[in-house]
Amino acid sequence: MEHDMQAFAAEVRRFLDAHVAKAPDRTAVTWGEGDDSMAYFSSLAPEEEREQVQRAREWQRIRYENGFGWITGPPEYGGRGLTPVHELLYDAIESEYDVADTGTLSVIGLGMIGPTILAHAPQPLKDHWLPAMYRGDAIACQLFSEPGAGSDLASVTTRAVRDGEDWVLNGQKVWTSVAQHSQIGLALTRTNPDAPKHRGITAFLVPMDTPGVEVRPLRQMTGGADFNEVFLTDVRIPDDHRLGEVDGGWTVALTTLMNERATVGSQGAGPVAGALSADRLSALMRATWTWDDRALRGRLAELLVDVLATEHLNARALRKLQAGVAPGPEMSVSKLLYGQNLTKAAHFVSDVLGPRAIADTGQWGTYAWNELLLATPALRILGGTEEIMKNILAERVLGLPKEPVTTAAKEGRQ
Amino acid sequence: MTADESALDELRSAVRNFLEAKSPEEAVRKLMESEPRYDPAVWAQLAEQLRLPGLAIPEEYGGDGFGPVELGVVLEEMGRALLCAPYFATVVLAAQALLASGDTDACARHLPGIAAGATTATLAVAENSGSWDPALISARAVRDGEGAWKVTGRKSFVIDGTTADLVLVVARTVAGPTLFAVDGTAPGLTAESMETLDATRAMARLTLDAVPATLIGSDGAGGRIMAKVLDFASVALAAEQSGGARRCLETAAEYARTRHQFGRPIGSFQAVKHKCADMLVQVELAEAASREAARLAAEGSPDYPVAAGVAHVACSRAYMFTAMENIQVHGGIGFTWEHPAHLYFRRAKSSQLLFGGPAVYHERLLDRLGI
Repeated sequence: MEHDMQAFAAEVRRFLDAHVAKAPDRTAVTWGEGDDSMAYFSSLAPEEEREQVQRAREWQRIRYENGFGWITGPPEYGGRGLTPVHELLYDAIESEYDVADTGTLSVIGLGMIGPTILAHAPQPLKDHWLPAMYRGDAIACQLFSEPGAGSDLASVTTRAVRDGEDWVLNGQKVWTSVAQHSQIGLALTRTNPDAPKHRGITAFLVPMDTPGVEVRPLRQMTGGADFNEVFLTDVRIPDDHRLGEVDGGWTVALTTLMNERATVGSQGAGPVAGALSADRLSALMRATWTWDDRALRGRLAELLVDVLATEHLNARALRKLQAGVAPGPEMSVSKLLYGQNLTKAAHFVSDVLGPRAIADTGQWGTYAWNELLLATPALRILGGTEEIMKNILAERVLGLPKEPVTTAAKEGRQ
Repeated sequence: MTADESALDELRSAVRNFLEAKSPEEAVRKLMESEPRYDPAVWAQLAEQLRLPGLAIPEEYGGDGFGPVELGVVLEEMGRALLCAPYFATVVLAAQALLASGDTDACARHLPGIAAGATTATLAVAENSGSWDPALISARAVRDGEGAWKVTGRKSFVIDGTTADLVLVVARTVAGPTLFAVDGTAPGLTAESMETLDATRAMARLTLDAVPATLIGSDGAGGRIMAKVLDFASVALAAEQSGGARRCLETAAEYARTRHQFGRPIGSFQAVKHKCADMLVQVELAEAASREAARLAAEGSPDYPVAAGVAHVACSRAYMFTAMENIQVHGGIGFTWEHPAHLYFRRAKSSQLLFGGPAVYHERLLDRLGI
């Protein structure tokens, strides 16, 4: 196994070397030079964003044509038929290269919805959509969350009512990433309000150009709009777009959630890499004459320990992957820590800046940190709140018992 | 020489089995109130059956020539079991100071005895301030008329200092801080036990009154030797700390799974569950930091000094955090004398402060980072 993984790693490097350059070191800094952006969420103008999506599609097509578009997928749909460990290894190696950011396609669509379609969709849907998605032609979004159902997804209320061979969907979805670019969405709907809440849900694949589907950008506290609200008004979906059994959609949803990808080695990407760089942070302390502040130095050391130890955690996970061993909890832990580290960095820098964080003096590399600061509350919520993540660690890794279902919750189902 | 993963697992289970038999809680409690605070019979078995004292000593000096990775596995297990033995003082501090000195005569003289388990040793640096900074010591060494060195001064916090056969002392000469070897029974040397926060780690105050000493390495090289030893010892201590932290997490999770209150296991309450998850995060981070630092040390990587600093901070913090939260999860029983939780709490706090404490190790890390 270890030999195979090394051969695979070498093949990956040959492919990447032939197509792209190595990523530049984004942690080095010459104070006052270059872009001082610290944006976590994209703050691109719409036309720039469309260009970025186009670059992502092109890179995905190149991957697909070279056998890296769907590493775990079955060959009949253009997949490679390898293990999740191969895929994680590919991702880790690719993060060393300067490739287009394919998050728009891959995080939700290819990582979560593709495997769900594969597991639960009728054959014609698989034949049509799977190659289209993994070739970079179709983007998919996840129509799961609702204003009244955040982490408790089983309480969705968007209704689907049968009408002959069709279903009619009505309701509102929220926090939908990439809906504005998507061709299809996987929707969870309530088809049986009388059944216990996990048992009355049905999943549908919704072509986003179906009449009655309306995507509206949702403006966040950063000022940008990375997410959308999706309104479904009398949306007619044929029954052959149903995934899984009627009222059996919870199983489908679990497939999607289980495929939520872990992220190894992704920490170096984007402008925020500088937020966790010793060079950048110490240069900031010099520029603000806080170099000698003992209390701030202590906090800097603690912050860098979190950052560097998280890198060690990732490095060890990567070495396990290369040896063909599935990593343990370190990947979930690393994911949790990534948001926490960025949050600590943003608040540390605010304290270094002091009043300079309140209003823009025009000094390079100072006020720009607010872009990160204002994104940090979202980092504790996205992709499962910190609380949900901790429940998962405690229950799956430490074997702690689940919260018992209370009488009140049972009554709520009636 | 570095062992592969399966050999490391074998080493771990051999050491764990040995310690489960020889250092259960009753043994720890008995030894921490006895003099000496270790069992010479167990020490001899540890040397004869498992060859642990010589594990990380080069083969040319009678050891098995393994490195910091293997030593880390052993120390994680000793930290878990709170073993009362002069292992850290002898194998980590003293043997590594000898190796760091580059003094091959001194190594040939002392290391084979240490490797065989026949000699116990320690390193005396700190004085009453507790600082391990060799610039801050006042013990002095002078040559007498015949050119022989004599050391005079006081040393405190000397681990296993009342029982060590060999004491390495950092003392000041006109050339600066310098390392010397002193026989544990030398005339003019008196050692008295200090009362310690962590009774499982014995410490002594040494008074040296013109004690005959042998120069180790070159005159004035003590600062350079100590910098090396401190990086190595920080990583070794980090392994011990991460083993202790892992034990605290396991104990707390076990209790949370089985203890019922208000009609359900307490681990089903989210407040308790999240406490345990926070402990897990700290333990995973600590283990990664200490094992990675050991790996980088074994490879002679230029990243090793920074990684040593990271390991020291991450493991000190993780152990203190898990030791505190373990007591909290246990509730009232957790702060009784009879429950072992306080033994880990004491070890965690004592280890956190051993080489100077947070303010000192923060600056040491920033220094290693060039900040």
